[in-house]
Amino acid sequence: MAKRVMIADDSEFMRNLLREILEDDFEIVGEAENGVEAVDLYEEEEPDIAMMDIVMPIRDGIEATNEITNNYDDAKVIMCTSVGQEEKMKQAIKAGASGYITKPFQKPNVLNEINDVIPA
Amino acid sequence: MKVDIRELGQFNHLASQGAERAAESLSQLAGVQMGVEVTDVSLVTETVLAETFTDRSFVGVEVGLEGGLEGETVLAFERERAMKLQDLLMGVTDNGDAEERLAKSSVTELGNIMIGGFIDGWANHLDTAINMTPPRYTEANGPRILPDQAIEAAKKHGVFLFESKLTGMDTDLDFSLYMLPEYRQFVQLLSGNEQGNQIPVNRLSTFEQLAKEGAGNAADQIGMMTGLDTNVDVSRLRFVPLAGVPKQVGNDQFVGVVFELTGLPSGYLVVLFGEESATTIANAMMPGGGAEDEIGEMTEGAIKELGNIMTSGFIDGWANVLQTSIEHSPPNFVHDMGESIMSPVVGKLGQQQDYAFVIDSTIEIDGNKGQCDIYALPNERELARALSALPARD
Repeated sequence: MAKRVMIADDSEFMRNLLREILEDDFEIVGEAENGVEAVDLYEEEEPDIAMMDIVMPIRDGIEATNEITNNYDDAKVIMCTSVGQEEKMKQAIKAGASGYITKPFQKPNVLNEINDVIPA
Repeated sequence: MKVDIRELGQFNHLASQGAERAAESLSQLAGVQMGVEVTDVSLVTETVLAETFTDRSFVGVEVGLEGGLEGETVLAFERERAMKLQDLLMGVTDNGDAEERLAKSSVTELGNIMIGGFIDGWANHLDTAINMTPPRYTEANGPRILPDQAIEAAKKHGVFLFESKLTGMDTDLDFSLYMLPEYRQFVQLLSGNEQGNQIPVNRLSTFEQLAKEGAGNAADQIGMMTGLDTNVDVSRLRFVPLAGVPKQVGNDQFVGVVFELTGLPSGYLVVLFGEESATTIANAMMPGGGAEDEIGEMTEGAIKELGNIMTSGFIDGWANVLQTSIEHSPPNFVHDMGESIMSPVVGKLGQQQDYAFVIDSTIEIDGNKGQCDIYALPNERELARALSALPARD
């Protein structure tokens, strides 16, 4: 059975790109455009993995990740972001992120990161 | 408040590295090879912003910065290039027929990724986090492509403007990445230490104003000697890596004169005309109109003479305000590609410094029919010393 993945990114272009990369190997359970929607979608679907942008309106990805990982012990969140700052990476890890991919990415990078976080 | 020239150089270097990362991101995402032409920083006024951006229509992506570095960043494309980029990006996602909204989203996300790459090095250097606001797609004419806060700051006390020009290697896809850090915080970051080579920040504005007046004098002198209408199109005081200056002048053929300056500050001043502009001017300077269609002895003599007079007009104002004496050498006539003319100048100055304040002024002659570019490259340390010695005005 395919693993279930949700995508949270405020960019429609990037959500489409991630969907195209993942849809052959994973079930995409839904998409969110901001941190609030991301938390709601996670609670609704409890996916195996959440792909989470950092810079999003209303509520950013680090805050959303923090809430998700506080409420779900086994939650797996991969930050998928244009921000490659060391301090931001530390904040993401502190919030409970399991992985971190810097945009722009190629399909193999994304699949490798997911496999590292939830081995098939 | 003082700025340390070494710190300014360090931040210019960070911006340059950031622009390289931004170019790599674009190459990966859109499949086009990009290079960074040059990164410079200048303290600009509202007038300079207007001159720099005027008469151009832009598509931009704006990202605000908060935390360790506050300010604004803007990726600005001239409209037709943005459309071309959208086409490239939509090809990547196989959504060639997607609606305009998705096309805008693609450019916005590209801006987000490029600005993220640009900022990372700054955050790591400052050992802090820089928060980015979500990217905003904008369309505007002229300086309105920049955030309102930056324009307001430029009105009040000037704003530091970092500009990285990115160029498509095999496609016509040139555009610029601008960063405008919040003035007061950035000046604090630039303060360095007492042992550094420091200039009171307001003296940079003074010098920029001097450069503008010098360009105005030079334009008037061309007008007086030729009877042609002249106008200073743009004049900016930029802080640039010396190595990038020849590339910035480019590979077009120029006719002009190079002067070595001695005194405080020493340095070089280069006056360049396009070939056609040079013959137009030379002919206009001759009684009866002259008749030389190519660059010959008459043009050489005329350009040397005009260069002499323009240079005096340009530097006299510096000497008067800095209360120093500046002399210039006899004119060295040059007729070559811009890059070849500037390389030896930069080579000589580069023995003492890696970065330079370059005054870059463009004078329009007879409407759009001719153009004159003036590049002044003073010795950085001597300029800092002379500016620091000015009576305090803060």
